[in-house]
Amino acid sequence: MAERDLTYEDIVQIVDLIKSASHFSEFRLKVGDIEVSLRRADRTPSAPAAVQRSFEPAATADPARQAPSRAFSDAAHLVRSPMVGTFYGAPAPGEPPFVEVGQSVEPDSIVCIIEVMKLMNSIEAGTRGVVREILVSNGAGVEYGEVLMVIEPGKP
Amino acid sequence: MKRFDFVDVTLRDAHQCLWSTRMTTAMMTPILGEIDRAGYAYINILGGAVFDVCVRYLHENPWERVRLLCERLKTPCDALTRGQSLYTFELFPDDIVALNAQLLARLGVKVFTVYDALNDNRNLESSIKAGREAGMEINGWMTYTLSPVHTDAYYVERTKELLALGVDFLCVKDPTGLLTPERGATLFPAVVQAAGKIPVQLHSHCQSGLAPRVYEAAMKSGFRFGYTASEPLANGASLPATEEVNEIACRLGFETSMDREILKTIAGYFRWLCIREEKPCGQVAQYDAALYEHQIPGGMISNLRYQLETMKLAHRLPEILQEVARVRQDLGYPIVVSPFAQYMVTQATLNVVQGERYKTIPDEVRKYAMGYYGRLAARPSDEFLERAKIRPDDMVSERPGEHIEAWIPRLRAELGASAGDGDLLLAAFYDRTLLEPLKQAAPAYRFRTTPLHELVSWLGTRRDIEYAHIRFAGTEMTFSA
Repeated sequence: MAERDLTYEDIVQIVDLIKSASHFSEFRLKVGDIEVSLRRADRTPSAPAAVQRSFEPAATADPARQAPSRAFSDAAHLVRSPMVGTFYGAPAPGEPPFVEVGQSVEPDSIVCIIEVMKLMNSIEAGTRGVVREILVSNGAGVEYGEVLMVIEPGKP
Repeated sequence: MKRFDFVDVTLRDAHQCLWSTRMTTAMMTPILGEIDRAGYAYINILGGAVFDVCVRYLHENPWERVRLLCERLKTPCDALTRGQSLYTFELFPDDIVALNAQLLARLGVKVFTVYDALNDNRNLESSIKAGREAGMEINGWMTYTLSPVHTDAYYVERTKELLALGVDFLCVKDPTGLLTPERGATLFPAVVQAAGKIPVQLHSHCQSGLAPRVYEAAMKSGFRFGYTASEPLANGASLPATEEVNEIACRLGFETSMDREILKTIAGYFRWLCIREEKPCGQVAQYDAALYEHQIPGGMISNLRYQLETMKLAHRLPEILQEVARVRQDLGYPIVVSPFAQYMVTQATLNVVQGERYKTIPDEVRKYAMGYYGRLAARPSDEFLERAKIRPDDMVSERPGEHIEAWIPRLRAELGASAGDGDLLLAAFYDRTLLEPLKQAAPAYRFRTTPLHELVSWLGTRRDIEYAHIRFAGTEMTFSA
C-alpha cells in the first residue's frame, strides 16, 4: 500500500473508538495501515470518567417576606407580581425608588418594575392611596401573584 | 457562462446556530489557510452574536479577532451589524455607529453588511453613510418573513429603498428557514428585477429542510451569491452546505470557484473539531409544517421550554406558542427575530399565565408599538393599543437615531485621550466589569495543523492515558507519561 497521510476521517474514527473503550486499561487498534496502542493509568476504583454535573440548587424562598407584617383594612389593595420575575424598586441602579412607605400614589403611578424573561414591566399602583408596606427587596426573585406592596386608602 | 459565488459563514452564523456561537479564534486559525484557498468570494467573520459572545463568554477582544482574521485572509472579509443597534439590541447614537464603521474598515473589513430587524431602512442610513466614507463596500440585507403584509411588493419596495441608499450588494435574509421554492419562484425574480445591476445574495437557514431547493430557485432567478457553511457545520438551524449548493450550481451549468478537495479538508477539520470540542454537527432537518405557523426558531423554543420549566409552566407551552401567533398579529407582524421574537414570546407568556390578554405589557413592547425602534410593518390592533394606552400622539415617526444624543464626547471625557477607538466603543456597549477579562493576553495561535498533530494533541490532553503508540504508513510514535 502506498504511503499516505493520516486523514481527519481516520482520527475521528480512532478517537471515537478510544472514547467508547474508556473502561478498559489497555487499547490496541489495527485498521489497514494504522496501529494505535494505549495504556491507561490505574484508576482506583474503576470510577466512570463521566463528569459529575452539578446543578444549581433551586432558589429558596426568603422567609423574611411572603406575608404582610400586620393586618390591613379590608380596603387595602395588594399589588401583586404579574409573573415569575425579578423585583426592582427603582428605575435604574443608584436612582431613588419609585415609591417609599408613606407616599401617596395615583392609580397609574409606577410603583416598581418586574423583570420577566429579560423584559421590564412597569407595575402601576392600580388604586389611589398610601403605600403602607413594601414586602420585597430590590433585586429579589418573585413568584406569580406574590404580594409586592400594600396600598391603603387615605392620607399619609 | 453564468457565475454563482459563495460567501462562507462557517466562522460566524454556522457556529452561532449550532454551537451557541462558542467557536474561539484558536479553533479557527489552523484552518484559515484552507478556507482562504477554497474559492469563496467573501468570508463573513463578524455578527452581533459573535461580538457579544466574544466579550461575555469567550473573554476575547472582538476587535482583535477581526484584525487577525482580516490579516490572515486574502479573501475579502465581511462584517455584519444590526444597523443602529450594531451588536446588541439597544439603539446607539449616530456618532457611535459611525466610529464602529471606521474602526472595522481600519481593521481590514472590506464588505460592511447591515440590516434592521424591522426592515426599517432608515435605521441603516447612518451605517451606510459611515461605511462608504470609510471605504468599504456596502451590503444591504432585508429580512424575509411570512405575513399578510410581507408580500413580494413589500420586498420590492425595500429593494428600492436599499438601492436609493447606494448599496453595492443586496441580500434576502431568511433567518428561520421559512422560504420555499414556490415563494422563491415569485419573490426572487421580482427582487432581481428591481435590483437591476446590483448583485443579489441569498442567506437562508435549514430549519424546514428546504434551503438547498430554495438556493436552486435563487440561482435560476439570477441571484449571484449564496451564503453557505462547511458541511459538518451546515444544515439544522444553520445554513446549507457549500458542498451541496456547489453541486447544485454546477449541475445547473453555473461556473463556480469552489475547490472540492480543499472543501473536503475543511470539512474534515470541522468534523474533527465537533468531536474534539464535544459540540454537535448539523443534522439535515425534516420538513416541519408547524414552523410556518408560529415561526419560532427551534433554538428559541428549547430556550422557552427551559424558562417555562423553571417557572413550573412547561405544560402550557402549546398554548403559549398559539398565543405568540395572535400577539404577532396584534403587534403588526414583527419579524420573528431578536429582539422582537423575545418581545412576542414574553407578551404571549404573560397573556396566557395571567388568563387575560395584555393585562401586563412589557415597557419594550409599548416602545416598539410607539415606533421607537423603527417603522412597523402594519398598525397594531385596536385591542392592543387600547390596553397599552397608546394614543395617536404617542406615536413617533422620525428616524430612531434622531432621538439619541451623541455619546462620544462624554466617553472621551470619561476614558481619557489615551483610550483607543476600540476601547471607547466597548465602553459604549458594555459595563466595565464585563470588559476586565478582555485584558488578558491572547493565546499563541497555531496557523496550520494536520490530523496527526490533532491526534497527538488530543492524546496529550487525556490525563488517563499514560502510554500511547501510534504507527501508520512509514511513521511510528510512542508517548509515555
